[in-house]
Amino acid sequence: MDERELASRMKADWDRRIAHDYRFWMSDGYQSDEVMWQSGERDFNIITRDIESASEKSILEIGCGVGRLLKAAVRRYKTVYGLDISEEALKRAGQLIGSEPNLKLLLGDGYTLSHLGDRSIDVVYSFASITSTPLEIFSRYLLEAHRVLKDDAVLRLQVYLGKEQQVNSEDTLHLRCFDNENFERAILAAGYSIEWIEELKLPFQVSFEEAGIIAKIGSFRKTSAARVNHDEIARLLMPNGEPDQADAITGVEVECWMSLNYAKELAESGDIERAKQTLDFAVVHAKSINLDIQDLLEQIVKLIDAKSSELQRSPASSENASVDVLSGELLYQGNLEIIRQRFPDAYQQLMHGDSEEHGVIECKSTGEGDALLYDGQALDHPSAPKRGASSWVKSQLQSGDYGEAKSLVVYGFAGGYHLEALRDARPQIQLSVVEPSAKTLRYALSRRDLRELLKDIDQLIVGSELSSLRISDEAQVLFRPQTSALFPEQTRELKARFYGTRGLELLSPTVSVLGPIQGGTLPILGYTVHGLAQMNQRVRGIDMSSFSGGFNSVEGLVHDEMRQAVLRGKYTETLSDMVLEVANEKPMDILICMAQAPITGKALQALREKGVITVLWFVEDYLRFHAWKYMAQFYDFVFTIQKDDCLEAIKAAGAGEVHYLPTAADPLIHAPMALSDAERTRWGAPISFVGAGYHNRQQMFASLSGLPFKIWGTEWPDCKPFDRMVQEGGRRLKPDEYVKIFNSTDININLHSSTERDGVDPAGDFINPRTFELAASGAFQLVDKRSLLGELFEPGEEIEVFETRAELIEKIDYYLAHPEKRTPFIEKARARVLREHTYQHRLQKMLSIIYSSRYEQLKRRIGTSPWVKVIERASRFPELKSRCETAFKRGEEANLDGLVSDIVSGQGELSETEQKLLFLFHIRKQMIRMRQEETVKS
Amino acid sequence: MKKRHAHKTNVLLVNITRLGDMLQATPTIAGMKMENPDCKVTVLVEKQFESICHTIPNVDEVLSVDLGMTVRSLAREKEGIIDAFEYVTEIVDDLRACNFDYSLNMSSSAYTAILLRLIGVQRRGGWASDAEGYRIIESEWAQLFATSVFHQNRQFNSLNLVDVFRCSADVEKHPHSLLINIDEEPRERAMALLEEMNFPKDGPFVMVQAGASQLKRQWSPEKFIRFISILTEQHGCRVLLSGTKKELQIIEPIVAASNRARVFSVGGKTGIPELAALLEMSDVLVTGDTGPMHMSVAAGTPVISMFLASAYGYETGPYAAGSIVLQPVIGCGPCNPNKACSRPECHDTFSPELLAELTMLRVRGDIEKLPSQLASERGVIIYKTYFDENGFYNLKPLNVEQNQAMERYRNAYRNVWLDDIGGFSVDGRGDAVVTPALNVIGEGVPGVREVVEAARKGQELIRQLQNLIANRSSSPQRLGETSEDLTELDRHIEQLGYHHSHLGPLTRMFIFNKENISGTDASGLASQMMGVYQALERRSGKLEQYYS
Repeated sequence: MDERELASRMKADWDRRIAHDYRFWMSDGYQSDEVMWQSGERDFNIITRDIESASEKSILEIGCGVGRLLKAAVRRYKTVYGLDISEEALKRAGQLIGSEPNLKLLLGDGYTLSHLGDRSIDVVYSFASITSTPLEIFSRYLLEAHRVLKDDAVLRLQVYLGKEQQVNSEDTLHLRCFDNENFERAILAAGYSIEWIEELKLPFQVSFEEAGIIAKIGSFRKTSAARVNHDEIARLLMPNGEPDQADAITGVEVECWMSLNYAKELAESGDIERAKQTLDFAVVHAKSINLDIQDLLEQIVKLIDAKSSELQRSPASSENASVDVLSGELLYQGNLEIIRQRFPDAYQQLMHGDSEEHGVIECKSTGEGDALLYDGQALDHPSAPKRGASSWVKSQLQSGDYGEAKSLVVYGFAGGYHLEALRDARPQIQLSVVEPSAKTLRYALSRRDLRELLKDIDQLIVGSELSSLRISDEAQVLFRPQTSALFPEQTRELKARFYGTRGLELLSPTVSVLGPIQGGTLPILGYTVHGLAQMNQRVRGIDMSSFSGGFNSVEGLVHDEMRQAVLRGKYTETLSDMVLEVANEKPMDILICMAQAPITGKALQALREKGVITVLWFVEDYLRFHAWKYMAQFYDFVFTIQKDDCLEAIKAAGAGEVHYLPTAADPLIHAPMALSDAERTRWGAPISFVGAGYHNRQQMFASLSGLPFKIWGTEWPDCKPFDRMVQEGGRRLKPDEYVKIFNSTDININLHSSTERDGVDPAGDFINPRTFELAASGAFQLVDKRSLLGELFEPGEEIEVFETRAELIEKIDYYLAHPEKRTPFIEKARARVLREHTYQHRLQKMLSIIYSSRYEQLKRRIGTSPWVKVIERASRFPELKSRCETAFKRGEEANLDGLVSDIVSGQGELSETEQKLLFLFHIRKQMIRMRQEETVKS
Repeated sequence: MKKRHAHKTNVLLVNITRLGDMLQATPTIAGMKMENPDCKVTVLVEKQFESICHTIPNVDEVLSVDLGMTVRSLAREKEGIIDAFEYVTEIVDDLRACNFDYSLNMSSSAYTAILLRLIGVQRRGGWASDAEGYRIIESEWAQLFATSVFHQNRQFNSLNLVDVFRCSADVEKHPHSLLINIDEEPRERAMALLEEMNFPKDGPFVMVQAGASQLKRQWSPEKFIRFISILTEQHGCRVLLSGTKKELQIIEPIVAASNRARVFSVGGKTGIPELAALLEMSDVLVTGDTGPMHMSVAAGTPVISMFLASAYGYETGPYAAGSIVLQPVIGCGPCNPNKACSRPECHDTFSPELLAELTMLRVRGDIEKLPSQLASERGVIIYKTYFDENGFYNLKPLNVEQNQAMERYRNAYRNVWLDDIGGFSVDGRGDAVVTPALNVIGEGVPGVREVVEAARKGQELIRQLQNLIANRSSSPQRLGETSEDLTELDRHIEQLGYHHSHLGPLTRMFIFNKENISGTDASGLASQMMGVYQALERRSGKLEQYYS
C-alpha cells in the first residue's frame, strides 16, 4: 500500500471507531467525558512539561482525535492546531470543546501537514496517537513536523521503544515499538537533537516490560536540516520494514476482541443498549478474523438476555446485605475445602498465618464482579476487573518468554481474575500461584466462586515463606505489578531466587572486576575473579597494582599533603581513563569495583551511560573510610560488610541498592597444607598473629611479649617489646605465605583492627576476611567478639571468641595445654566456610541480587550485543558461527580482532575458516601499514 | 638455467597493489609466453588497477580483489565481518574454479601468502603460507629476492629485481625490456593535448618527472629550474613536465620560473595510456626512480634517472639497455626507505649542469664513453644500463674504476648467485666450477673462513642427528642437545653476517634456506638441513673465488 492508500485505511478505521464510541477508542477515561478531560489534562501536562512562555506560542497536536488533550492546550497556548485524519473525530471535537478562538481543527490527508507553512509552529506533539500509525506514515510525520517547526523549536512524542514489534504494515490500531538505537538514529537523521527520552509513567500499566515494550516520552529539538528522506527514515526506524503479514494478531482482531470484551462489560453492568451496539460493531469483523470468538459471543448474547430479563423482573436490583454475607460464607467454605484438600500448607497459612498482617482489605463492586483493594491500592482493575485482567494477561502472553512458557509461577492471587484469564488463554499451562497476603486470599475466597480455578492450579503458596515453592527449569515467573508494589521485600526475594539462578545460568554477562592499587583488599580482587570464573561467568580482572609505584612516588617528590592529594586525584583520573579504554576495547556488562578501586565518579557515570551496571563491594569499615559519601551515587549496587546504619547511610548517599555481603575465603588458596620441618621452623609458632600494627593490636599484644608469640605484617613499631616478636623485618606478606603461617601455628590470634579503641572494640560489628581465611585453612583461631559474628559462625561451637585481654590470655593458656580441644573447632569452622562462606557463595549472592533487579535489562543488553546479529548472519558458515559464539563467550569485542585472537600459527594445521580470517586480518594490517608508510613518506 | 617448474599451462600471477610492480612483471609474463606459447596468464590485482591492466601485454585475464571494500566492511565492525568473510569465500571459490597449475607471488604480504594457500595451487613460486599459517618462500630465487631487499644487504646486490622475479618463475627467455601496450587512441589524445597547449614542435623533446614517491627522493625545484633553463636556453629543448595532481605543487613552481614558451606541464592531465604515449614521443625522460621511469623504458624511450636517497639503481633501475643511472657516492646511501631524512645531502652530489650535459648526450644517441670533464666526476657514479651474456640487467660505470671494493663484492655476489642458484655459466666456468678447497681461501674476504667452519660444523651436527634418528635407542635428551647445538650454531652464523656486513647476503640467504625447510619426517628434514649447510659452505667458497 502506498501512503495514500494507508491514509485512506486510517481514515475509514478511525471514523468507524469514533462513530461507535469515541471515549472507549480514544481514552483510558472512558467512563465519562469528565474523566476523559481529566486524563487529557494529565497527559498534556506530561507531554508539554517544562515548555516555557506557552501563552506566546503556537502548538500543534498530530492525531488529536476528539480533542482529549486539546482542551487543556487551548487554555495555555496562543494558537492551538489539532490535526486528525478522522472527520468523525474532528466533528466530535468541535462539539465537545465548543468554540474557542485560538483553536483550529485541521482535517489532514493522513501523511502531511500541508495546511501549515514552513517554520510556522513553536511546539509539535503527539500523544497515544502516532504510535498506532503505519511506519510509512510515522516516518513522513517526523519530517513534516520538522518542516513546520520553527528553528530550535521542540517536537514532543509519546512512543514505544524497546523490542521492535512486528505489526502488519496496514494495521492502524496496534502500537508500534521501535528499537531504541534505531529510533534515535532516525530522530537525528530527521534533523533533531535528542533532549531527553524518559519512561512514561501513568496510574495504570502502559509499558509491557516483559515483552520489551516500554512507553516513552521524548523531547527533540529541531537543530539541523533533515539529512534524509522519509524512506530512509523508515529504514532507520525499522531496517527490515513492516511486514505485509506479521505473525502477530492483526489490528482487526484486536479491534474485534476489545469490542467483544467491552460489550461483555457493558452487559454485565446492565447497559444493555450499548452492549448490543458494541456487539454489533464487533460482529462486523467476525468473519474476517482468525480468532475463536464463538464462545465469547455466545456468553455475551446469553448475558444480554439474562440481564435483560433480570432488569425486567427486578428494576431495583439492590442486593440484600444478609444474603450477601450468607452467600460469602458459603463461597468461602466451598473454596477453602478445595485448598484444604489440595494445598495443606496454604490451608494452614490461611487458618493461622496472618497474625502480623495489618493491611486493610476492601472490595469494590463492579459490573464484572468484586475488585479487591489492599490499603486503598487496587489489586484488580477497579472498574473492570475481568477485562483488565484479560487485557493484562494478553499483553503478558505476547512476550516471548511467557508466550512460550509451559509452566508459570504467578506472584499475586488478588481476586483471581487474571488467573482465570490465564487459564482460559492457556488451558494446558502448569500454574503455580504465590499470594503473600493470607488476608487477601481469604477475602477473595469469600467474594468469588474460585473452586474451578483452584482445581486448575498446581501449586499454591500463601504467606512470606517461599522455601517450599518449586520452580521448574521451564517455568517463568509472572509478577502481578499491584502485588509486587505492596510486598517489595518478598518480591525481591522471589526475583533473586528466580532471576538470580536464571541469570547465573542463562545471561552470562561480561563481568569486569576492578581492583585497588594496593592494600589489604588487593588479594580479594583475585579471589573474586577466581570465584566468578568457577561459576562459569565471563569475568575479567582489571589489576591496577602495577601502578602503585607511581602512586606512592608522589610522596617522595612533593611534600605538601594538599598537593599530594591533588596529584593522587589526577593519577586516579588517568587510571580511570584506562578503565574506560579497557571497557571500550572489551565491552563489559557489569563492573564490580573493589573498595578503593581507582575510578572517578565521572568514569562510572560514563560507563553507566553505556549501560554498564556499576557495583561497589565496599569491604572496608564505612566509619573509617569515607569515599562512599561522594562515590555511592555512581553505583547501581553497593555491597557492604556492615549492616543497619551502614546500609542506610550509603543508600542515603545515593547508591541504587545497598546490601550486606561479608567477605569470605577462597578454598583453593585458604586450605590445609602439608609443610616441611624447615617450613614449620620458619613460619610456625605456638602463637601467631598476621596483620598490620594498628593501635589496638599494639596495645593488646605488648602484654603478650612473654609468650612464644610471632607477629607478621607491616606497620609495627621497631622497638621493644615488638622487636623480638615481629618477624622478617615487618615486611608485607603474600597470601600463600599467610596460609603457611596459619597452618604451622597452634593458636592464631585474630584481633580486628581499631584506630580508636584499646584491645577489643566493644562496638565492632563486621567480620574481617582473616576470620574466614583462618577457618578455611584448617587453623585454630581465637577471634575477638563482633556483633555480626554469630550470624556466620556458632561461637563456642565452631569458633572460639574472646572479649578481653584477660580472657585471651586465659584461652591461650588453656588451648596450648589442651591441643585436642582445638580440633573440633578447626573441623567445624572449616566445614562451615566450605558450606556457606566461600567467595563463590558471596558472588552467587551478589549476582543473584543484581540479576533479580536487572535481569530484563541485562537480557536486553546481551540480546542487543552486536555478536547476536553477527552470529545469526554467520549461520551459513558453521565453523565461523562457532568461532563467533566462542569469541562472544570470551568477552571479545564484535570485530575481527576478537575473532582472530585465538588463532595461533604453529599450533597445528589451520582450518579454512581460520585461514580466511587471517587473510582478512592481514589485509587490514597491510592497509594500515601502507597508510603509515604514506605518512612517513610525505 | 636450473628450473623447478619449467612447464606451465595456467598461471596465476599475484600482483595486487602497485602499478610499478605490474610493469616490472612484464618481462616475466612475456618470457612465460615465449617458453610456453599455449600458457594462459591470469593476473590478480587490486580493483583500482583492474582498468589499466589492458596496458600490460600478454595478460589473458585480469581478476581483481576489492581490498578497499573489504577493509571498509571490517571497519564497520559487527556484521561487516560477515560481509567481508562472504566476500573472501566468493574470491577463493572463484579462484579455485580457475584450476591454476602454477602461481607466482612476489608480494611478501601475509595476506597474499594465505590467499594462495586457500586457493590450493600445487606448484608455487614466491611467497606462500604453510598449513600451520607460517609464511614460506618457495624458490631459492625468491629467497634471494628477500635476501637482496633486506636493507643491510642492498648495497651488495647487483641483480635487478625484475630478473630475480623472472627467475623465481623459472623464466629464462625474455624481451630485455619492460613492455606496455600503447593504442592509437591515447596517442591521438596525447597529440591533441600538446597541440592544445601549443607545445613547440622544434628542438629536442625532453620530458621531466620532477615528483617522487618520497620527499627525500625528490630533487629540489630550484635544481630542476636551473637544469631546465640550460636545456631550453642553451640547447633549444622543449620540455614537458609530467606528474599527478598531487605533484602539481612541485611542477607548477618549476613551470612558473621557466621559459613559458618552451616549458609546459601535463601534470594531472593524463591517464596511464596518455602518459605512455607522450613518453613514447619524447626523446628522453629525466626522472627519479618512479613509475614513469618504468613506463618510459617500456615505451622505448631512454631515461636519465637519479637514484636519490633510498633508491638503488641496481635494484630497480630502468630495465632496458642504453639508459643512464645516477647513483650518488655517499656513505648513507641507499638509505632505509622507511625513514625520513631532514638533510638529503645526496641531492647535492651532482649539479643541474651535469644532468643537462648528460641529457643532451643521451638525446644525441647511445653513450659509449663520457667526455673527460664528466668522466672525472666523483660525486656520483654515472652508469649505463646493459644486459650481460646471460641476459641479466647490469650497470656499467662510465666514470669510476670497476675494481672499487663495493663493486667487487657486487660482482662477486652476482656471480655466486647466477652460478650457484641459476646454474649459469659465469666467466666461462658455470656449473663446472668445483668448490674451492678451504685451504686456498680465507684471505680476501674477511670472516668467510669462520662461515665455512660454521657450515662444516653444521654438517657434522646433522650427521650426528641423522645417526641419532636412525638409532631407535637414542635418548631424547641427546636429540634435544644436538638440536640445541644447531640452534646455537645458526645464531652464530647470523651474528657473523651482522659482524661482517659483506657476508650479510650469504648468511641471510642461509637463514631463508633454513626457514623454508618443510615436512614432518625427521630424516627428511635432516637431509634438507644438510643441504643448507653444504650450500653455505659452497657459496662461501664461491664468494671468495669470485671476489679474488
